[in-house]
Amino acid sequence: METFDVAIVGGGSTGLAALKHLSDLGKQAVLIEAGPQVGTKNVSGGILYSKRPRNGKVHNVEDVYGSDFEASAPLERHISKYILHATSGNKIFTLDLTPAHEYQTNFGYSVLLNKLNSWFASVASESAEKQGGGIVTGVHVRDIQWSNENKTLIHTDELEEFQVKAIIAADGVNSEIAYLTGARQKFSPNEVYQGVKVVIRLPEETIEERFEIDTSEGAAHLFAGDVTLNHIGGGFIYTNRDTLSLGAVYHYESLFSKPTEPSTLVNALIQNPFVSELIKDEVITIDIDRELSKEEQLRKRFALTKLVKTFEELRYSCYSSSGRTRLIDSGKFKNFEEMKAKLDSIRQELIEKYNTKFVTNYVELEYSAKLVPDGKRCRMKKPYHRNILFVGDAAGRGIFIGPRIEGLNVGIDDAVRASLAISRSIDKNNFAEDYMGQYYTSLVEQSPYTRDMKEIDKEYLKIFLESTKSIPKEIVGSRYGFIFKIMSSGKLRGLAVGIANLLGYEKILPLVESEETYVQVPIEVALKLGKKIDPSYTPVPPSIEERVARLRYNDDPISHIIVREPESEFLRKLVVLCPTRCYYHEDNKVMLQHEGCIECGSCAKGTEWRHPRGEKGVIFNYG
Amino acid sequence: MVNVAVIVKLEPDFSEGNVSYNPDGTLNRAETKSILGPHSAIACNAAFYTKITYGSRISIGTMGPPIADSALKQAQELTDADEMNLYSDRIFAGADTLATAEVLRSGIVKMLDGNKIDIVFSGHRASDGETGQTGPQTAWKLGYTFLGNVIEVNIDLERNYVIVKRLVMLQGFDGIVEEVEAPLPVFITVDPSYSPNYRTIYQRLAFAKYRKEAIARANNYKQFLKIYDSKSLGVDPKFVGLPGSPTIVYRVEKIPKAKASRKAQLIEGQDIDAIKSIVPKLRPIVS
Repeated sequence: METFDVAIVGGGSTGLAALKHLSDLGKQAVLIEAGPQVGTKNVSGGILYSKRPRNGKVHNVEDVYGSDFEASAPLERHISKYILHATSGNKIFTLDLTPAHEYQTNFGYSVLLNKLNSWFASVASESAEKQGGGIVTGVHVRDIQWSNENKTLIHTDELEEFQVKAIIAADGVNSEIAYLTGARQKFSPNEVYQGVKVVIRLPEETIEERFEIDTSEGAAHLFAGDVTLNHIGGGFIYTNRDTLSLGAVYHYESLFSKPTEPSTLVNALIQNPFVSELIKDEVITIDIDRELSKEEQLRKRFALTKLVKTFEELRYSCYSSSGRTRLIDSGKFKNFEEMKAKLDSIRQELIEKYNTKFVTNYVELEYSAKLVPDGKRCRMKKPYHRNILFVGDAAGRGIFIGPRIEGLNVGIDDAVRASLAISRSIDKNNFAEDYMGQYYTSLVEQSPYTRDMKEIDKEYLKIFLESTKSIPKEIVGSRYGFIFKIMSSGKLRGLAVGIANLLGYEKILPLVESEETYVQVPIEVALKLGKKIDPSYTPVPPSIEERVARLRYNDDPISHIIVREPESEFLRKLVVLCPTRCYYHEDNKVMLQHEGCIECGSCAKGTEWRHPRGEKGVIFNYG
Repeated sequence: MVNVAVIVKLEPDFSEGNVSYNPDGTLNRAETKSILGPHSAIACNAAFYTKITYGSRISIGTMGPPIADSALKQAQELTDADEMNLYSDRIFAGADTLATAEVLRSGIVKMLDGNKIDIVFSGHRASDGETGQTGPQTAWKLGYTFLGNVIEVNIDLERNYVIVKRLVMLQGFDGIVEEVEAPLPVFITVDPSYSPNYRTIYQRLAFAKYRKEAIARANNYKQFLKIYDSKSLGVDPKFVGLPGSPTIVYRVEKIPKAKASRKAQLIEGQDIDAIKSIVPKLRPIVS
C-alpha cells in the first residue's frame, strides 16, 4: 500500500498553504482536491489580507509564498478605499472606513480564487515534489479509518486506499472529515453566514473611473440598510482587475426566521440606484429572425457569435492600458484611435447587418454561494481529532466583526500552525492527540486571530467610531446613541469594552448584530443624511434559471445529497433558501433535484451531505 | 522500454465563436482556426497513460501543411512527447485515406531513430473527414495487428503483449466490452469514450509532473520537431497525394430531410400549465 507522511484534504487557499509550508519544512505531504483542477470549487467574497497585529504574530501569505508574492501572484486589485454605505430607497449615505481597513494591515487585495489558488498550487506543488509529495486533483475522500495497528487509512472514491501518519482537514465549512469523525457537529444557522455572489464584467478603465481609483488601486464597498430586506448582514462590491465581485452576506439564522431567496437579496443590491450606476454597461442583445430557415439561422448565429466575440475582446483590450499595449506590441494596431475605429466599424456591422441591439444593463459572468463560518460563534475549541488537525473554514475559523470580514488570512495562519505541529510530530514520531493535537491547539490559541474571535479590540473600535463621527448621535436611536456616546469617550470606552469582553460575545452579539444595527439605523441615517441618486436605467438581473444555465457543471447522476426527512421544517425553508432552488414541494414533501447544486452546504444541516465525487459537480471559473 | 507512436491531425475548430462558413454553407477554412482534432487528443491521452504507467517513449506524427506543427505542439502538451514529426510536401496534397496511410507508414518506421514502434495510437476518426479509415489502413500497411474502439490499454512487459478492452457495438445490446490480448506490435484506434484510469497517488503525481514537463517542452516544441518532405521520407510519388488516391469524390449532396408524417405541437416559453398539458399525452407512450 502507498504510504505518505501527511495527507491534506482540500485544495483551497488554506490547504495549499499547509502543503507549501510543510514541504518547506522538509516534510512529505500529498494534497487531495476533489475538483477537476485546484480552484474550481472555491468561492470568496473578499479580500486577502496581510496583517501585523501589535500583540503576537500571525503567519501571512507572503511568509508562506515568499516576499515577492505581491509582485508574482495573480492578485486583482490592491484595496485602498474601504467604504460603507447606508441605503434607503434612492438615498445613500457614505462613510469612509479606510482607516479601519488599514488597521494593523500590511496589504489587502481583492482576489478571484480560481486564478489565485491555481497560482498557489503551482508554487506549492513545486516545493512538494522535492519532498516526494504533490497535489492530486479529481479525488474525493470518502472515509478515514484507523486499523488495529493504529494505521491511518484514507479511502477515496477514485483511488486505491493509502496510508498516512497525519491528516490536515482543510475541506471547508462543510468539512466532511469533521462529520465523518464526529470531531464537530454540522454548523447550525446561528453559527454561519450565507453569502451569495455574482461576478460582473466591466472594462478595466470603466472600473477605475466609476470607483475613482487609479490602475494600481482597488475599492471595497459595503452596504447596509434597505438593501438587506430586513436581514442581519449586508451587501458588498469589490473591484477586481476587469470584473466586480458583488454579493450579499447574511446571518443564516436571520434568513431562517424570515426566508428570502438568496438571489432576491443579491438583486436588491443590484437594483439599488447607486449600485446600478456602478455596474452599468452596454449589453449586446442578439435577435435572430425565426422566420428564416433553420440552416440560415444557424449560419447567422455562428457568424454573429464570432463577430460579438471579436468585438468584446477588442473592447476589453481597448479600455485597459495593458490590453492596449499588448495590441500595439503585437502589431495588430498602431494606436488607440485605430482600435476605436475598428470597434466602431464592427459595431456598425453588428447593428446594420445583423440587427443587433445595444442596450443599457449589466453583465453577469458567474453566480456562486458559500457559507461563511462566524468564528465568534463556531470556531472549534478543540480543532483536532486523533491525528487529524482542522484548519480554516473546516475549523469554523473566520473573523466577522461588523465591517471587518476576514477568512483567507485566518486559514493561512492556521495552515502554518498545523504544519509546525505536524512537522514536530514527524520528527518525534508521535501523532497522539495529547502531543500533536494539543500542541496545535496551543499554537492556534496564541494566534491574534483567535483573540479577535473572542473579544472586542478596543483600538479597532476606536478607529471605527472615529469614522462614524459625522453621524449625529441622535439619529442613531436612543439605545445606540447612548452606546455611541460612551464608546466615543476614551476613558469610558476602555471600561465599556472591558465589561463587554467580560460578558463575552455570546451576550453582546444580540445587541450588536441586530436588525436595528444592520437595517433600521442605516435606513434612518440614509433618509436623514443621504444623498439622492437618480438612476439612469433599471438593471434586469438574470433569472435564477439563467444564472444556473451559465454555470459549468460536470453532472453526476448520483446525488451527493440524500434527503432523509423530506417533511422537516428545515427542508421546507430550504425551498426558499437554496441559492439555486434545488428543493421544491411535491405532495407535502420536499424533493431535491441535485443537478443545479453549487455546493454551498446551505442544506447540509438537514440532509446527508457530501461533496460530489472527484471532478463532479459545479466548476467555478472565477470563484 | 516501450516505443509508442501517435498519429494526429490538425482539424478545424468547430466550436461556436470560432468556426466560419461560406455563404453556400461550406466551411470557410481561411477564417476558421485549426486545432488538434478532438479524437487525436484522446489518442494522445492513451499514449500519455503508457508513459506514466510503463515509462514509454513517445513520438508523434502528422501529415499536413507547415501550419500543422501547431497540432504537434498541442499533442506534445498532452503527451510529453520525446519527438515530433511533420510530413509536409506539396505532392501530398489531395490525398485520400490510403495515400495518407502510405505517408504515415513511411514516417512511423523512421520514428525514434528507426527503433521499432511497439504501439501506434490514433484517433477514432477525424472531425472533418469522418471516414475512420486512415488508422486501419496505416495498420495494414505496417503489418501491425489492428485493435479498434479501445477503451483501456494495459501492457504485459514480460510477454510483450497488450491486453486491451474494446467497446463493441452489437445491435440490440449496448456497450459490450471485449477483452483482447495481442502480441506487440499493435495499432490501436482509441474509442471516443476512452478516459485514462489512474488509480494510485503515485500515478497521479507522475501525471502532474510529466504534464508540467510537457507544457515546458511544448513551449519549445521546435526543438523536438523533425520535418520530412517526400524525398527525406523516401516515399514513391505514385503512392502519395492525388496520384496515390484511388478515391474520387464525385459529388457532395445534402441528405434530404425526411417528410414528417406526424403533427407537432409547439409549446413555447415557461408557461407551467402549458407544459403540464403535455404530461397526460406522454403518459400512454411511457407506460
